[in-house]
Amino acid sequence: MDKMRLENVTFAYGAEPVVHGVSLSMKPGHFYGVVGPNGAGKSTLLKLLDGFIRPREGTVYLDGKDLRTFSLAKLAREIALIPQSSYYFPFTVEEMVMLGRAPFYSRLGTPSARDREIVRASMEITGIAHLAGRLASSLSGGEGQRVTIARAFAQETKVLLLDEPTTHLDLEHQINTCRLLQRKSREGVTVAAVLHDLNLAASFCDHVFVLAEGRLREEGPPEEVFKPELIAEVFRVTVPPLHHPLTGRPIIAP
Amino acid sequence: MSRPLRRWAGALLIVFAAAVAATALGSVRVNVRDVLAILASRLPWVGSLIPRTWSAAHQAIVLQIRLPRVLLALVVGGGLSASGVLFQGSLRNPLADPYIIGVSSGASLGAAVALLLVIPKGWAGYASLPLFAFAGAVLATLTVARLGQRRGRLEPTSLLLAGVAVGAFLTAVVSALMVLRIENLQDVYLWLMGSLSGRTWVHLSMAAPYVFSGLLLALWLAKDLNIYLLGEEAAHSLGVDVQRVQRLVLIIGSLMAAACVSVTGVIGFVGLMVPHALRLLLGAENRRLILHSFWVGAVFLLAADTLARSAFAPLEVPVGIVTAFVGGPFFIYLLKRGSSFYG
Repeated sequence: MDKMRLENVTFAYGAEPVVHGVSLSMKPGHFYGVVGPNGAGKSTLLKLLDGFIRPREGTVYLDGKDLRTFSLAKLAREIALIPQSSYYFPFTVEEMVMLGRAPFYSRLGTPSARDREIVRASMEITGIAHLAGRLASSLSGGEGQRVTIARAFAQETKVLLLDEPTTHLDLEHQINTCRLLQRKSREGVTVAAVLHDLNLAASFCDHVFVLAEGRLREEGPPEEVFKPELIAEVFRVTVPPLHHPLTGRPIIAP
Repeated sequence: MSRPLRRWAGALLIVFAAAVAATALGSVRVNVRDVLAILASRLPWVGSLIPRTWSAAHQAIVLQIRLPRVLLALVVGGGLSASGVLFQGSLRNPLADPYIIGVSSGASLGAAVALLLVIPKGWAGYASLPLFAFAGAVLATLTVARLGQRRGRLEPTSLLLAGVAVGAFLTAVVSALMVLRIENLQDVYLWLMGSLSGRTWVHLSMAAPYVFSGLLLALWLAKDLNIYLLGEEAAHSLGVDVQRVQRLVLIIGSLMAAACVSVTGVIGFVGLMVPHALRLLLGAENRRLILHSFWVGAVFLLAADTLARSAFAPLEVPVGIVTAFVGGPFFIYLLKRGSSFYG
């Protein structure tokens, strides 16, 4: 069954729609890539999926139920969103990751032993356990990105949405991040990430959504979607039809 | 005793010792034993058991003059610092202070109107003055909050800009009033610099309820404020109603600051420096930060006020001058020493 579904969703900040009549669905255990040129509505799509903004028309479904019927607290246990920007007040790495457990204990309470265990495990999976006591604001871009991913992992949601998780990262960290997300999806989580690097999307995603001017232009497995004709039309770049010699996945290079 | 409990017992002891020392100090020295005895004699049940070894004059000085002033310094220092944590958090700006969105300029206008147009000369510090100042602070803050909205949502940047604009405007009005009524200039000027001189139990009873209920509500919201620091979208995804938390925190912080400013005038630097310094030392976790800012701010303002009234006795320096004089260099030291948390 679909984990999340968008049905004919339109959204506008002003008069001009940013997302226009988009319908799509996402299954558990899949890693989805959201790609498209700047201003295509990718971030807005994630915010719609997260319930941060509500569609002007159409409906977002989670487990077949209208997203609007979920309370904020309930939603926090279902969907985790990692936005583009992070504000760095001096929290330690461990405190940062522990904020991912916030939906699970009361406002005057303290984290339980289980919360602490989950936080430790999340830090280990993302390879930042040795940084636990460091200030998150003092970390490099790659480490900081892993902290926010660890926080989302600690939230233990069945849906994970990430807005450009690989931007500002070097090649190694880009690949590690994608591997991490891919592995998470194999645990049954629905992962969707906005990716600017089409090659990362082609290498790691099971399924990509191509947005252009607020509309869903194309979707499917990367090898079916990333054809030179589509790249030319959507990104206005001419590329030859290249494929990875080992995996057979498409390579997008001028 | 567990470690945090011991730490809090230590903090309480420091506050108590500072309060007793400050009550003993001044142009008339009262020795510490007499101060303790006078305080103990006011306790229920055990009070009557204390032998009266002190003079009536000393008792009056301690109970009518020094003690309310000492307690007011603690309450206002704590209130401004805790409120500073709330403003820095809700505006996501470590350089915000309780005055940044109009509390001080509004209170100043309220006080200036009272001193220049309503209350007869020489009545500065009298009990109706705080009501004018408080009304001014609340009105100014509401105006700023109204101007700082975009599409029905409060936005930190818009709020800051609106605060600066409204502040500049109101300050101009205050200056104009001062020029027009030059004979009352000194009253207004002294009030603007902030002072605890001549404040009594009435003033304490005006500020304390706001400060203490504000403190409790702030602790209640501390967890949400932690999450809120991650930014709107992340906070929403962690189950926090961002707009609601921001509104509540700003309202609570403004009321605390307004209550403090209206009884003491504009005491600068405490609400900026104490939370900022403690954040460098303790980290950003808000429950811890609010509690520690409260007691450290309380003791800091008490020390500053004690210095203000005894350093050049019998002359009194407005305490706002002392806080800035001590605070400025200390703040620079912290910034030079500390790492860049916010880069």
